[in-house]
Amino acid sequence: MTDFQDTTDHEVKADMAEIAAHKYREGRLTRRGFLSAMAALGILPALGSKAMAQANEIVVVNWGGRASEVLQEVMADTYTKETGIPVTVDGSGPSGGKIRAMVESGAVVWDVCDSGMGTALILTEQGVIQPINYDIVDKSKVLDQAAYSHGVGNYVYSYVMASNPKLLGGNAPQSWEDVWNTKDFPGMRTFRKSVRGMLESATMAQGIPAEEVYDVLNTEDGLKAGIDKFRQLRENIIVWGSGSASQNLFLQEEVAIGNIWSTRAHLLRDQMEDGSFEVSFKGGVIAPGVWVVPNNNPAGSDEAMKFIAHAQDPELQVQWLEMIGSGPANPQAAELVPAELQKYNPSSPENLAQQIFYNDEWYAKNQVRAEEMYVDALIN
Amino acid sequence: MPRLSDTWRYWFLVLPALAIMIIFYIWPLVGIWQISVTEPALGLDNYTRMFESSAVTTSFVITFRIAFLTTIGCLILGYSVAYVISNFARRVKPLMVALVLLPFWVSVLIRSFSWIVLLGRSGIVNDTLRGAGIIDAPLKLMHNEFGVILAMIHVMLPFAVLPIMANMRGISPAYVDAARGLGASELTAFRKVYFPQTLPGVMSGALLVFVLSLGFYITPALLGGGRVLMISEYITYQIQEFLNWGLGSALSVALLVLTALVILVAARFVNLRSALLERN
Amino acid sequence: MRTSAFRIFFMTLAWMVLAFLLLPILVVIPVSLTDTSYIGLPKEELSLQHYAAYFKDPRWLAATWTSIWVGLVVAACATALGTTFAIGCWYLSNRASTVARWILITPILVPPVVQSLGFYRFWVTLGLIDTHGGVILAHTLLALPYVSISVFAALANLDRRIPQAARSLGASVWQTSWQVVMPAAYPGMITGAIFAFIVSFDEIVGVLFITVRNVSTLPKKIWEGIQESIDPTIASVATMLVLLTLVATAIAIFRNRDLRA
Repeated sequence: MTDFQDTTDHEVKADMAEIAAHKYREGRLTRRGFLSAMAALGILPALGSKAMAQANEIVVVNWGGRASEVLQEVMADTYTKETGIPVTVDGSGPSGGKIRAMVESGAVVWDVCDSGMGTALILTEQGVIQPINYDIVDKSKVLDQAAYSHGVGNYVYSYVMASNPKLLGGNAPQSWEDVWNTKDFPGMRTFRKSVRGMLESATMAQGIPAEEVYDVLNTEDGLKAGIDKFRQLRENIIVWGSGSASQNLFLQEEVAIGNIWSTRAHLLRDQMEDGSFEVSFKGGVIAPGVWVVPNNNPAGSDEAMKFIAHAQDPELQVQWLEMIGSGPANPQAAELVPAELQKYNPSSPENLAQQIFYNDEWYAKNQVRAEEMYVDALIN
Repeated sequence: MPRLSDTWRYWFLVLPALAIMIIFYIWPLVGIWQISVTEPALGLDNYTRMFESSAVTTSFVITFRIAFLTTIGCLILGYSVAYVISNFARRVKPLMVALVLLPFWVSVLIRSFSWIVLLGRSGIVNDTLRGAGIIDAPLKLMHNEFGVILAMIHVMLPFAVLPIMANMRGISPAYVDAARGLGASELTAFRKVYFPQTLPGVMSGALLVFVLSLGFYITPALLGGGRVLMISEYITYQIQEFLNWGLGSALSVALLVLTALVILVAARFVNLRSALLERN
Repeated sequence: MRTSAFRIFFMTLAWMVLAFLLLPILVVIPVSLTDTSYIGLPKEELSLQHYAAYFKDPRWLAATWTSIWVGLVVAACATALGTTFAIGCWYLSNRASTVARWILITPILVPPVVQSLGFYRFWVTLGLIDTHGGVILAHTLLALPYVSISVFAALANLDRRIPQAARSLGASVWQTSWQVVMPAAYPGMITGAIFAFIVSFDEIVGVLFITVRNVSTLPKKIWEGIQESIDPTIASVATMLVLLTLVATAIAIFRNRDLRA
C-alpha cells in the first residue's frame, strides 16, 4: 500500500460541469431538441450504478452535471451513430475509491472513466485498471506527456495568468515576476486555496526557468522559497476556493491579477468588457484529464479502447473545447480550433510551448506538507 | 411531590426527545472523538500534528482575537441600546425592540450577503465615497479582519442586547432615584449604582456572543477572502479539500473542548441557568 | 421629558446602533431592483428583471418550496417532541430533569461545523445523506432546544397546584397533561414552533454537509449563488425574505403594543 495522496483534481472536473451548466442556462449553447429537453428537466442522465451494463453497451463515466450531457452528445452519440453500439454516460463521479471497490468486488459496471493522473497512478499501483491498448488507441493522437501506461489523456486544462489591465493603468503583467511586483502592478491578486498549480508560479517568480521548476521544488530550499514568495505577497492576496469564485473576483473587480483555471478565463473573456481582461499562458501549468479502463469491464477491453480512440477525433475535441472550455488532448486538433478560440486553447502549439506539465508525482509526495506550509504563509 | 409511579410516567414524556437527541446528536459528536484517534491510524498523531502546526496555532489565535473583538463591539453597542430601551423609551419601545429582533429573523446568509454588497471593492460604500469624491481609490473594506469583524458584530448584536435587556428589566429604579435624591449626577448614578447591577446581564451577553463567535463559519467564510481563517473554516478546509477526517476531527474536538472551557470559566461569573436554560 | 446631555448622548447612540442593525439589511432592496446584470445600485431606472428571473427559474422555486415544507415538518416534529419533553421536565423539576434539559440545549452551544461533521458521518451509515428525511431529522435536532426553552418558560407561569388537583381528582397523567398543562403551554408552543420553522428555513451549514445533489434548500441555493455568480437574483430573494420579516415584525409590534411593559 502506498502513501500516495490521490492528487487528481476532482474539483476542476466538477468545475467544468458547472461551467457547462451555466452556459446552458444562459442559452448560449444552442443544440436543438436534446438541449431543451435536458434544460427543462434539469436531470442527469444517470445510469443506476447498481444495474449491470449489457455486454454490447459501453458505459462512460464522468463527473456529472452538464458535462455528462455534453459528453453524451459530442462523444457518445457520435460513436453510436458510427458503430451502432449504444453508449451511456453516467455522471456519478468515478473516484479512485469507487473504481477500486468495483473491481475488487467483481461487479464492474463501468467501461471508461474520466479520471486524473494522480488517481491513475494509484489505481495502477493497486492493479485495478488496464494498460491502454495503443494498438487501438492512437498514441500519436494524444500529447506525449498525456500518454501513460494505464491512462490516456482525454482533455487538458491549464493554470493561467489572468489580469485586468484597466485596473493596472493599461499594463498587463508579462511574467510571474511581474505578478509579484506590487510597485509597478499594484492591486489585489487571487490564488487558489490550495498549492496545486500555484507553487509553480511562485517558483517562476524568482526567475527560475519553467523547465527547472519541479527540480527546484524537489529540494527543501526550493520548496521553502516558493512558499515564502506567498508570504511576501500575502497582503495582496484573496484566495479562490472554487472556479466560480475566481471568476467572480474578476467580474466584481476585486482583483487585478490572478492564477486561475483556463476554463474560467475562457468564460471571462466574454463577460469582461473589452480591454479589461488579458490571459497569458506564459509560465502556465497544463494538466490532462485521463481515460482509465477498469479491469474486467463489462463491454470488454477492445470495445472500451475503441471508444477512447473515437474520442480522440480532433473535430470532436474541438467541439468539446467550444462547449466546456477544456482543451483537446489531441495535438492535431489545434489546427482545427477557430482563430478566436485558439488563444484560449491550452494545447495550441504556441501555448504548449510556454507551459510546463503538472507533475502529479511531485504532488503525490509533497502536497500534504506543502499545503500546510501554504496555509501558514497566507494567514500568519 | 409526584408519586413514585408517576415519576416513571413523567420520564416517559421526557424520553422521546431525550433519546433522539442522545442517539442522533450526542452520539455522532462522540463519533468525532473516535475518528480523531483512529484515522488515518490509531493513536494521537492528529493531535501532535495539530499542536506542532503553526498554521493551526495561528488559526486559533485569529479565532480568539475575532471572537474577542466582536464581543467587545457587541457589548458596547448593545449596552446602549438595551439601556435606552429599558429606561428612556416608553412609546417607541416596541419599535426599538422590534428593530433589535428583526435581524434575528433574517438569516445569517442574507445578512452576510448584504455586507458583501456593501463592502466590496466595487460595493456600495466604495462607489458612494468615490462618487462623492471623498476618496480616489477604493478602500479595502472586505476580505480582511475589518470586514469580518464588522459583519460579525452586526450578526451577533441581538445576542448581546437580549440578555442585557432581560437583566435590566429586573432592576428597580429605586436605587438610582435614591442616589439622585442624594445629589449624585446622572452620570455618577449610572456609573456607581446602575451599571454594577447590570453586570450579570452583560456577562451573560458576553458569554453568548463569545461562544457563538468562536464556532462561527458563514460570515468569516464569505467575507474573509481565505486569509481570515477561523477554526471552523480550517476544519471545513481540511475535510473538503483533503478529506483529512483525522485532522478535521481533532480540530473539532479541540474547538469543542475550548468552548466548554470558556463556558466553565464563565460559570463563575454568570448564572448559566438563567443565561442559557431559561427564556432570554 | 427631561433632556439632559446624558440622555441625549445615549439616545443618539442607541438610534445609531439600531440604524446600524437595520440599514445593511435594507441595502438588498435597491440592489434587487437594479437594471444592471451585476450587483450594484440601479443606474438609470428600476427594473423587476431579477424578480422575474427568480419566478421563472424552476430551481429557485423548487428550493423555496423544499425549504417551506421541510420547515413545516420540522416545526411539527420539534414542537411535538419538545413540548412533551418540556412538560415531563416541568412535572419532575428535579436534578435529573435539569440534566436532561442541559442535554437538550447542546445544539445551541456546539459549533455548527462540528455538529455537521457528526451528522455527516452518522448519516452516511444510516443512508440518510442527500435525502429530505436526513435534513428533517438534523433540523429537528437543531430546533428542539428552542421549543424546549419556550415551552418551559411558558409553563413557569403555571401554578403547580392545578394539575396536582386534577390528579388527585382522578385524572390520569395523560389526561392532565393534555387538558390542563398543555393549554398553559400553548404560547410557548407557538413561539417554539415559529422558532423551529425559522431555524430549519435558514439553516445552511448542516445542509452543506449532508446534502449533495438531490436536496436543494433555499439557503443552499443562495450560498451556491453567492459562490457561483453573485447575480442580483439573490438580492431579489433576499429582499422578499426581508420584506416578509418586516411585515411579520410590524404585525407583532401592533399586537404587542399594549402588552410589553
